[in-house]
Amino acid sequence: MMNRPDKLPRLNARRVRHPLTRYSFSLALVATLACHTAPASGAKITAQQNEESGLYSWVAESEGFSIELIQLLPDFVRAIYMAHDFPDSEVEEIAGYCVFGSIIKNTSDKQLDYDVADWYYTDTKGKRYSIKTKSQWLEQWRKAGVTFSWTLLPDKGTFYEGDWQQGFTTIKLPRESEFTLTYKWTLDGTEHTDHFEGLRCAPEQLAEQ
Amino acid sequence: MHLNNSLNNKLPSVILLTVLSALASLTVFAAWEVQPKLGYQLTPLPKPVPAPDFTLEDMDEEKHSLSDLRGKVVLLNFWATWCPPCRREMPSMERLHQKLDAEKFKVIAVNQMEDGDHVFAYIGQLEVDPTFTILFDSDSKVSNSFSVKGLPTTYLIDKQGNIRFRAIGGREFDHPEVEKQIMQLINE
Repeated sequence: MMNRPDKLPRLNARRVRHPLTRYSFSLALVATLACHTAPASGAKITAQQNEESGLYSWVAESEGFSIELIQLLPDFVRAIYMAHDFPDSEVEEIAGYCVFGSIIKNTSDKQLDYDVADWYYTDTKGKRYSIKTKSQWLEQWRKAGVTFSWTLLPDKGTFYEGDWQQGFTTIKLPRESEFTLTYKWTLDGTEHTDHFEGLRCAPEQLAEQ
Repeated sequence: MHLNNSLNNKLPSVILLTVLSALASLTVFAAWEVQPKLGYQLTPLPKPVPAPDFTLEDMDEEKHSLSDLRGKVVLLNFWATWCPPCRREMPSMERLHQKLDAEKFKVIAVNQMEDGDHVFAYIGQLEVDPTFTILFDSDSKVSNSFSVKGLPTTYLIDKQGNIRFRAIGGREFDHPEVEKQIMQLINE
């Protein structure tokens, strides 16, 4: 265990003012709104807000491992799965989740292993939930006649130097809920755990809609 | 009549919502497109593993087998048009393909579960057309045989058909370090 949860930064997205009064669809750059370096034993967490959409993304950098979570709108998720001919019921089910684009990286020169089945999230009342893994989604989709299998973050992985991966991560919480993600990985055989606090589900739609 | 009036009254807002949803998706997509810088490290396998053989069709429905490429070093890439890092690394694959001797080195990009028309339309949007071989793994059976878990994943296969290096996630394949690794395999 490398982290000290009581010492980790609390990056509460609500403290950051939404500049949504000035809505622009131009492909502007993402603005860094907050950055906090945790004590030596914890993750360095960075939050960003997209100037065009107002949506947030967060990056947690821990020893040898970084994870980025990017808010996605339900309509974006619908569009992705509709484009791959998923049945309406499956499209609506996954769009009903709080879906994040996630990017995970091995930032070390050592072997890194992860298993999403070991990760969990905790709501603001302290209730703990397991993440629905890619395998669980695929099993459900197979029964619905879906064979497409590439959108979600792979359940497990062994990464070496320079390896990284991306895919969707699904959280079953209401829109705009705050939660903490607890993630685990092993680096060169040593287990690590960190807590990614202050995460928040995307809204149903953008404020101007 | 009443129905028509009601529909007419609602139509502008329905259109507006549709347009806003589309634009919202576009901006979300743009955010999702913000990607990490591509690296160049390929991981050497501790022990060479024979690459599973396959036969797949290209865009002209011509069949290609991996085993036909014995004697050449092969960069085998699994990709899809909707995968941002796959798109980002593709120009570097083309540069590498253009630079190295085609008699000794081959780039093969195995598309996952998309059809030729879709990929053809995508290629038409690129600044530089890929001239390397693109094959279609329409049911992902080949990627499964390679135990590919996410896209992109790339293997470097030696002249004997053994997997020697692996990369998960996008890379700049024309980086000098990658080229050096390929040349080492070519010169073995």
